Amino acid sequence: MSIYDKIFPPKKMVLSNGKTVLKPASRLPLIALILVLFTALSVKITGFDLDVLRERGSQFFVILGMMAPPEWGYSAQVWKPLFDTLKMSLLGTVIGAVTVIPFAMVASTNIVKNNAAVGIMRLFLSIVRTLPTLVTALIATYVFGLGTLAGTTAIAVFTFAYMGKILYEEIETADMGAFEAMEAIGATKVRAFVRAIIPQVLPSYLSNGLFCFEGNVRYAAILGYVGAGGLGLILNEKLGWREYPSVGMILIMLFVTVFFIETVSRYCRRKLV
Amino acid sequence: MIEKKKRASAFFWEMRICMIEFNQVGKTYSNGFQALKDVNLKIEQGEFVAIIGLSGAGKSTLLRTINRMHDITEGTLTVDGVNVMELRGKALRRFRRRIGMIFQSFNLVTRTRVINNVLMSKVPDLPFFKALFGIFPKKDKLEALEALDKVGILDKAFVRADQLSGGQQQRVALARTLAQNPQILLADEPVASLDPVTAKQVMGDFLRINKEMNITILLNIHHVDLALQYAGRVVGIRAGRIVYDGPATEVTQEILDEIYEGKTEEEAVG
Repeated sequence: MSIYDKIFPPKKMVLSNGKTVLKPASRLPLIALILVLFTALSVKITGFDLDVLRERGSQFFVILGMMAPPEWGYSAQVWKPLFDTLKMSLLGTVIGAVTVIPFAMVASTNIVKNNAAVGIMRLFLSIVRTLPTLVTALIATYVFGLGTLAGTTAIAVFTFAYMGKILYEEIETADMGAFEAMEAIGATKVRAFVRAIIPQVLPSYLSNGLFCFEGNVRYAAILGYVGAGGLGLILNEKLGWREYPSVGMILIMLFVTVFFIETVSRYCRRKLV
Repeated sequence: MIEKKKRASAFFWEMRICMIEFNQVGKTYSNGFQALKDVNLKIEQGEFVAIIGLSGAGKSTLLRTINRMHDITEGTLTVDGVNVMELRGKALRRFRRRIGMIFQSFNLVTRTRVINNVLMSKVPDLPFFKALFGIFPKKDKLEALEALDKVGILDKAFVRADQLSGGQQQRVALARTLAQNPQILLADEPVASLDPVTAKQVMGDFLRINKEMNITILLNIHHVDLALQYAGRVVGIRAGRIVYDGPATEVTQEILDEIYEGKTEEEAVG
């Protein structure tokens, strides 16, 4: 009997034949109370003020208002950075998602029985995950110089970290039967993993990869801020010059692209799972 | 009683070369549980042995020590003259290729086609990149199809494995091991999740494979009636010890009582 059951005793239910069943009290009130407490705490810590939002919130729409009507003629110059952004995210997603597979394998407790190896791999993945994409992109610009290659690297590193965690969690819930059968046949762990586990996790892996790609298009759009190429470059420039109608044009084109990719990806993901 | 059985069949057994030999084998798990104690057992090529006993008596452990899916902690276990505990890495994997294994829950990759499941038995021999991308030579594919034909489900070769019934799935697993060309077939509760009619069919498959291809078959089974009907030899295990070893025809109610600690009524009839 847990402490909770002692404070809030279970309700006794009596059946028509005299048998009794104990119905434990719901945990929901406790969880709700904790949630409310933490929300109140976070409002206090962050200094969130509803009055400020009410008074100054309209500023948000002032800039949006200045973006309309967008500078339609500017679209001709947006295409190239837009495609750069797409190229960066697509290539980065593929590179990151593929290279992480062996790492995710080593980070799975059901495949690798050596706890130290699993622990080190997980620590490595979580360190990579902590690295903000913008920082990775900045470092990459020092390595590869300004341009899309730096952006691609940053996206690849982010995808690597994100897909790594999702993939090893997926691998750990896979059915180990076929893996055991493969080992009994005399296959190595790697071969057994490839032929018995991969087919099971493939649909969710592809689905997550697509989801990650969607997000990466949006991330890639701001990487230009640190000189990593793509839309961010001109976005930063136009915002700096306060050419809001051009910014509006960039945002509209980005929105349409993201919307299109999301629609296609959602359709594909539904077919996959 | 055990002594009598051994004497009765000793003459017949010594005639053939020994394939599997347990010598004073014991197995203690890392948590201290002793799963096998003083196991002595000799199994010749081509025998059909049923291992019976209560759940937790050590049947699965016994079976899995033969292909070293489990390690033994005492005694020696030799298969075809090889001390199993001395095998490492590549030698162990090569050794395992000669031993087929069948599982209670079939252990197929259900998301893929039947033929790909059968081809899994060819993966250890492929060059790594072919194994990675699943590129199998035509010879392997034909062998896989022939194995499916042997168990009578050739028409299901290109169906996804999860579309098949339990009995058909167990046959795919059987075809997978046959494509391996094994000398020994270990089956861990192969019919436990099948209905009685399908269970008999699958047991019939085992018997046919045993007779036609002279493959040694060891199987764990809860259905005593099936064990007595199909197996030539019965090994009874109780709390990790062998309490009966002899021909299936000589198993009496008294012996079953001893194996099942007097709890035969439910298990044997059910």
